Amino acid sequence: MHELSLARSIMDIIEEYDLRHHFKKVNSLKLSFGKLSSVEPSALEFAFEVLSKGTKAEGASLEFEVLPVILYCTVCGENVSAEHYQATCPLCEGGEVCLAGGTEELKLLELDVD
Amino acid sequence: MKIDVVKNVLDANDRIAEENKALFEKSGTWVINLMSSPGAGKTTLVEKTIEALKDKYSIAVIEGDIEDTCDAERVARHGVPVVQINTGGACHIDGNMVREALPNFDLQGIDLLIVENVGNLVCPAEFRIGENIKAMILSTPEGADKPAKYPLMFQESAVMIINKTDLIPYVDFDMEQAKRSALGCNRDLVIFEVSCKTSEGLTGWFQWLEDQIESYKKQDP
Repeated sequence: MHELSLARSIMDIIEEYDLRHHFKKVNSLKLSFGKLSSVEPSALEFAFEVLSKGTKAEGASLEFEVLPVILYCTVCGENVSAEHYQATCPLCEGGEVCLAGGTEELKLLELDVD
Repeated sequence: MKIDVVKNVLDANDRIAEENKALFEKSGTWVINLMSSPGAGKTTLVEKTIEALKDKYSIAVIEGDIEDTCDAERVARHGVPVVQINTGGACHIDGNMVREALPNFDLQGIDLLIVENVGNLVCPAEFRIGENIKAMILSTPEGADKPAKYPLMFQESAVMIINKTDLIPYVDFDMEQAKRSALGCNRDLVIFEVSCKTSEGLTGWFQWLEDQIESYKKQDP
């Protein structure tokens, strides 16, 4: 349940921005993370809902941009988008791939506030 | 109104980790964050490592567990300072937990601090604590598919120790697949094949660790 820690950090960032911008309420948050970064959106939404109760962020919606898994194959030289990480190239079946995308950590991109 | 933030959510944790790291650099303490699934052999590896290196270096240990102190007791029997962190349900150690544990040590006299994380292949990979390296253990009964299932752990780690090689005749573990798959997550991953039970392969790990500590000491002003 690291989503609770993540939600707590999101609340801290919101408070920090509130001190600077003095908003009335938060309408929505835009977040991004890699598909393999083991962030579970529904668990994060639940943790955020619990922690934001009684704050300016209560009721705000979370929008997620999920970054795809990218495999770079050293055999055929292609970047391939895949469902999961695998050590074999889905295009040429070459056995040497590098994980080139999909583990990006959770970022808060934008706050929509009134 | 839209406000651009573009900030890592764990930014606050990273800042605490950097502060920890500055303290470690000041005292010349090299820090390893040891991670694995529950039961992969973290505590046994810690015990073996202490026995091998304690005459040469002063070692301290932080033991992270959700509950209980039995691992800390095992480690304390080897005569090194050990502090237990009970995360009370949290599935990982974070920068702040380490910061709060540090006043229990005299860091100035410690060459090597081993932080044994909570047994978990998911969350500990995300939380920096101020370590020099992350090392992870994959034990053979877990199977060779773990890098494919938990790639972040393998990408973040500098070292993968494949433990319980003595069990290979009894479990289906494809060594080549495990290595190839882990190296796909991280080309620079250093791999050791060991059995903490028979001690086979451990000297390579001890030597590597010693080399890291020595080169760190040389950087130290």
